[in-house]
Amino acid sequence: MPRAQLNLEKPTPLQMEQLQWIIITSENADEVFKKLEEQGIDPVLWGLTDKDFELLAKNFARIRNQMKITNDLLDKYKEYYEGDSEKLDDGDSK
Amino acid sequence: MFGLRLFFIGIVATAIAGGGFYVMKLRSDNAILKSNQIKLESAVAEQQQLIENQKKDFEDILAANQKMNELVSVLKKDLDDLDKRFNKKNRDVGKLAIAKTKVIEKITNNGSKNANRCIEIASGSPLTEKEKNATKKSEINPECPSIANPNYVPY
Repeated sequence: MPRAQLNLEKPTPLQMEQLQWIIITSENADEVFKKLEEQGIDPVLWGLTDKDFELLAKNFARIRNQMKITNDLLDKYKEYYEGDSEKLDDGDSK
Repeated sequence: MFGLRLFFIGIVATAIAGGGFYVMKLRSDNAILKSNQIKLESAVAEQQQLIENQKKDFEDILAANQKMNELVSVLKKDLDDLDKRFNKKNRDVGKLAIAKTKVIEKITNNGSKNANRCIEIASGSPLTEKEKNATKKSEINPECPSIANPNYVPY
């Protein structure tokens, strides 16, 4: 007697929030903070150096790649272990 | 004389009875052989089906492995391309940002938007028609063309 299929729903795809990067240099810092105050935003910023920004971008890309690999791996397992029954279901419905 | 005749009749009757039993035994053996033959043919067919299934499974496993290796390879290329964007020909993004602050800010925000979309795709979001049909450099998501633009061939 074959085991019942697990049939877990795939996780809902993410919907990312857009964020705004602001580049501050020693020359435009006053202007940037002034603009924030004018827009009613607290004049405070979390900073990264150019090197750390590069690392953040690469970390982000690595996480993305890992997600894609894991997701595809899951699809392949599902296709392999449940593929035949899906084909049978298709055949029945025709 | 009568005794001799009776003796021969007995022999003939015994021979006929023996022949009858022999034929019945042959029929019985034949039935068993036929039944065994059917079982054997059925077992051979099952074995052949099993071998066919194993062969197909093996082909599926090879194909899945190949697909995964290809994916790992194209994703690595995306990562290498990102590295090039920061460091191509000793490019210094920091100095560029000081010199052209607004331009680099715009490029950074566009890149961030594209990178967000890449995460959405990697998490299973279906591709839009625009993403599927992109074939030119100006149409693709440069952060992850390998997963966002399946019809794009780098040139």
